[in-house]
Amino acid sequence: MSSAIGKFVIVGQCFILLLVTSCIEPFNATFEDFESALVIEATITNETKQQEIFLTRSYEFDDEGPTPEVNANVSINDSEGNTYVFEDQGNGLYLSTETFAAESGQDYQLSVTTRDGRSYRSDQVQLKTGTGIDQITAERITDDDGQDGMAILVDSFDPSGTSKNYRYEYEETYRVIAPTWWPIKLVPEAEFGCNMILVANNDLARVCYPTNRSNQIILTSTEDLAEDRVDNFMVRFISSENYIISHRYSILVRQYVQSDEAFNFYSTLLEFSSSESLFSQTQPGFLQGNVFSNDNSEERVLGFFEVSTVSEQRIFFNYDDFYPGEELPPYVDPCGTSAPVIANMGGCVLRPLIESGAGVYAGDSGAQPSDNQGPYLVTRRVCGDCSVLGPPEIPEFWTE
Amino acid sequence: MKRVIIVFLLFMGMQYVGAQTEVPRISVSFANTPAEDALSEIESKTSYSFFYLSDWLKGLRVTGSFQDVPISTVLESIFKDTVLNYFIMDSERIYLMQNNQIYDALPNDFFGAQEQVEDDFPQYDQLQDIGPLFVGSDDNNRGLQVVKIGRENRNSRRRSFTLNGRALNARSGQPIPDLAIIVEGKDIGTSTNANGNYSLELPIGENIITTRGLGIEESRTKVILYNDGSHDFQLDESVEALDEVVVQANIDRNVETAITGVTLIEVEKIKNIPLVLGERDVLKAAITLPGITTAGEGASGYNVRGGRTDQNLILLDNGVIYNPSHFFGIFSAINPFTTGAVEIFKGHIPAEFGGRLSSVFDITSKDANTEKFAGEASIGPVTSNIVLETPIIKDKAALMVGGRATYSDWILETLDDEQLNNSTASFFDVLAKYNHTINENNEIKATGYFSRDEFSITSDSIFDYSNRLVSLGWDHKFSEKTTGSLILSNSEYRFGIEFDGESNNDFDLGYKNNETEFKYRMKYIPGGKHTLDFGIASKLYVVDPGNIDPLGADSDVSSLVIPREKGLESAVFISDSYKVNDKLLIDMGLRFSFYAALGAGQQRIYQDNAPRNSGTLVETQEFDENEVIETFGGPEVRLSARYFLAPDFSVKASVNNAFQYIHTLSNNTTVSPTDTWKLSDLNIKPQEAYQASLGFYKNFDGNKYELSLEGYYKEQRNLLDYKVGAQLLLNEAIEQEVLQGDGQAYGVEFLVKKNEGKLNGWLGYTYSRSFVKLDSEFNEERINNGEFFPSNFDKPHDISVVANYKFTRRFSASANFVYQTGRPVTFPIGSFAFNNSEFVFYSDRNKFRIPDYYRLDLSFNMEGNHKIKKFAHSFWSFSIYNVLGRNNPYSVFFVTEDGDIKAFQSSIFAIPVPTITYNFKF
Repeated sequence: MSSAIGKFVIVGQCFILLLVTSCIEPFNATFEDFESALVIEATITNETKQQEIFLTRSYEFDDEGPTPEVNANVSINDSEGNTYVFEDQGNGLYLSTETFAAESGQDYQLSVTTRDGRSYRSDQVQLKTGTGIDQITAERITDDDGQDGMAILVDSFDPSGTSKNYRYEYEETYRVIAPTWWPIKLVPEAEFGCNMILVANNDLARVCYPTNRSNQIILTSTEDLAEDRVDNFMVRFISSENYIISHRYSILVRQYVQSDEAFNFYSTLLEFSSSESLFSQTQPGFLQGNVFSNDNSEERVLGFFEVSTVSEQRIFFNYDDFYPGEELPPYVDPCGTSAPVIANMGGCVLRPLIESGAGVYAGDSGAQPSDNQGPYLVTRRVCGDCSVLGPPEIPEFWTE
Repeated sequence: MKRVIIVFLLFMGMQYVGAQTEVPRISVSFANTPAEDALSEIESKTSYSFFYLSDWLKGLRVTGSFQDVPISTVLESIFKDTVLNYFIMDSERIYLMQNNQIYDALPNDFFGAQEQVEDDFPQYDQLQDIGPLFVGSDDNNRGLQVVKIGRENRNSRRRSFTLNGRALNARSGQPIPDLAIIVEGKDIGTSTNANGNYSLELPIGENIITTRGLGIEESRTKVILYNDGSHDFQLDESVEALDEVVVQANIDRNVETAITGVTLIEVEKIKNIPLVLGERDVLKAAITLPGITTAGEGASGYNVRGGRTDQNLILLDNGVIYNPSHFFGIFSAINPFTTGAVEIFKGHIPAEFGGRLSSVFDITSKDANTEKFAGEASIGPVTSNIVLETPIIKDKAALMVGGRATYSDWILETLDDEQLNNSTASFFDVLAKYNHTINENNEIKATGYFSRDEFSITSDSIFDYSNRLVSLGWDHKFSEKTTGSLILSNSEYRFGIEFDGESNNDFDLGYKNNETEFKYRMKYIPGGKHTLDFGIASKLYVVDPGNIDPLGADSDVSSLVIPREKGLESAVFISDSYKVNDKLLIDMGLRFSFYAALGAGQQRIYQDNAPRNSGTLVETQEFDENEVIETFGGPEVRLSARYFLAPDFSVKASVNNAFQYIHTLSNNTTVSPTDTWKLSDLNIKPQEAYQASLGFYKNFDGNKYELSLEGYYKEQRNLLDYKVGAQLLLNEAIEQEVLQGDGQAYGVEFLVKKNEGKLNGWLGYTYSRSFVKLDSEFNEERINNGEFFPSNFDKPHDISVVANYKFTRRFSASANFVYQTGRPVTFPIGSFAFNNSEFVFYSDRNKFRIPDYYRLDLSFNMEGNHKIKKFAHSFWSFSIYNVLGRNNPYSVFFVTEDGDIKAFQSSIFAIPVPTITYNFKF
């Protein structure tokens, strides 16, 4: 339903084109009032582990990405008087110095003091208890847009009916085989000069195992359903055109059972990121989380501190399981080849191409020197070395 | 309101009156014949009919023989010794009028105050002429009615006396206000007040008193004054032989009425305001006046004095119109040709109206022409319009039918672009009005109205909405002092969206609300200083807040129906317009409104002292059909007063409050097609408003210039607003998304108008602010730290200029300029990373403003020639909207494209839009 409405909303722009002489055009907004705000992403779970908290700062639209908040004092207190201290691991990640698991019946409160002395405190939060994942299945489907692909579906059931709010994250790992990998590779002949020679390839990877983390908010609620049952909820859809399912694919789905507050926060954030138009029915505004400044009640703090019950499951499947005999999806790169000359008037050509890592050997060209082509075929690196995409080592959890 | 009706009646009255044309001759003789029989005989011998009351002719006998004399000679003879006058009209009707009484005696206690009077005697030496009074005989004034006032007091040395009394309409007995009473040749004069009373200081002896008034026949009376006394003028309505009468009504209304913040817009007067797309639009004219704004072009809904768009009661012939606009407000849904006038109450709202906080737009259709077939039509670039009026029973009943439609659908189809010619954009509205004067005591009126819009929002969805309204009114006169009006009305507003796309999520969505009102209103004029209005009203709301159904067999959309809501809003009201003295007029009104939310329904109960969300939901209560879920109510004070600082300079003040039990759910700044109305229930409290205003009104130069300055301060409670990220459509638990908070608005409105002359028009400037506060002890229910912040329609500066210049009687040019501060918006102010993706975060709500709005429109009008008797009057209008081509942003929004956040603005008319329209009237 909401997706259907969302659809007409997004397209609804030039609806009275005949009468309306102009509809939509770029607007030079000046975002003069940017303020750097602390962003807190803290999900403490009932798993016994070193718990993670991310601290970053908001950034201007023109900037590349977030800057981490470094060297902050981060701790969580529970109502029994325990304090769990977190240490900066770099890149905004803070890990608890000791392992612990959130327990029900406890109140947890996050405290952060940044390097510049500002201190922040969260609301008191309890562990939201709930059910775990029943099963994860992979199914070949045709989605709403008519696209063939693989759906990763979750089932979960809570007979007590208290879980209700579910958030999902996933981590997918897949085997990639570089299509133009050769057992030999080009290296410079000498320290100086443009000449290249072929040697045994013992470092460029043919088989790799890249891992991606989910980068969307995936939520579902059973609030309006007769029972607290998540049934075939799709957490991930992979188009049959996507190279990541070409060989063997594995996905780890983590299910967080969320409190109502946390669920509201995430769902509003999700609406903001998808609300795009004139007839948008979403009220914009500052989305208040549950972490506040101790010193200045007007300071905006972004993010949320939640304590939730987590469960996870992993599945594997091969391309053949669902697409027997069918052609593989196209590789991430079309892997076209060229035969650059060794050198020209401007200097070396092939050597810097190989040395920079942009290209790799892809066979002999068989070209004559008069052809204005070089003797070796070169292709983009990703085609002959998949380590660009992910590590070549088989992950520990990997099973065949 | 009362004033308007009177003016209309006068106007009608005058149209009845024809020329006193050539009188045919007659031969007849009577011998002590009863007058009534004599008149019958005349009727039988001529084409005349007489109109009179039998009582007047009782005992009157006629003797006389006439040979081939004008009928007037006969009539003069018949009525020579009576108080009756006659009027001949259209060679077929003769009206008899009972004329002035001659007072030949004074009340016995009249001289009681004589001694006191003597104290005021002028000094003896100032008196020049003492002695008995001789009344000369003056040939010029022979035949004048002679009135002798007072008994001559031989001891009196006073040379002047006070004459007072009333001017009354001889036919209706109603007092005649604003009647000029002039003493010929003596430079003495006065005028009657609103109750028809006057008082004059006159020199002793003979005075010729002339009376002149609007629509009142001029009279001359010889008054021979011997002492203080009183004389009432019984005056007839004027019987001037005119084909067209131009009545300047309400010229001093600005200064005169007791109520603040009232605006009257007459359709005829807005003819020269530049048009957009060829539509003369009475509601568009309203927004050129101070205090009434819209969020921008293409925004339907009006913000009146810092109020929300849902706080306006828009009445068409007493029935409510929920969405008075076409095409998102580019056109108003009120047909200008069928509309008589719009009265807008934005300050003091009369007690008979209720249920909305900010204003009442009281739109009245004009009455159909009972005399002859008439019509009016216009042809514009986008719409055409035609109105026809036809008498059903001559002089008593008539029907008016008007319709307006676009041909944009047809234009779209002729276009080459496939996407465009598959889309649809059309609207129409029709109105039918029947008015029937059954007799002098009973009049009924019935209005039916329907408007519908349909257009494609996208290539695969069709959006439509419609208003339907039926109203019936019965005005009954119980006596000269008591009249009553019964009003029944029903109106319905609905919208729907049909989405028929490629995939399996096609749906059909609908919303509907319906209200039925019964109202009985009485007016009682006990005489003297009071005018009472009172009555009862009751209104039943039935709202179907939304349903969605799959469209087509392969749609996976599941059906959902949000349960129906019902509510009953009732009120009793009374108001008294009390004239304390000539200077002070007080309008005291009290309304008690009462609302009951009715079952069947479900109500969700939440924990006390907790924010409302699914987590604090305690239980869901079921209510049976018509079971009372919750009641609200309270007194609404409507108090206003006017005090004359000078005859053309008044000060007015008012205080009032109101309750509103139905609210729109819209988190768009502007009225959006998917706005729904929600009734108050267990979780949604009624909105309340309290307003105080003070204004100064001054007319200059014989009402040629009008100047007003009015200030107001308004507080509101329980205004609806929404949590960040609220989803309103098809949401069953809407109270979890809604916040209720306080509002505060204040402003100063300045208006200067030039009503006459080659150059006329007005300039309005408003400084106003409007704020909202959404505070709570819970974070999720607190916006902007719980402090007041500018509302979506807070536009501090607003300037409007409307100017017309008449080159000749046929050619005129007009201009319209508008400037407004840009409205507040919520902008994203930065990005942040969260959950492995990128989001924007927004400022505090309404922290920024879109660029200021300004626009200039020009138009040039040419009227057909002014021959009075020709078949049709035509009117050409050529106008350019937005001459400066200003690209006024209507809204600003942000889209994430390829990982970058981009800002876009939408605007409706970014270039000058020329229009030519042809109107004709027959």
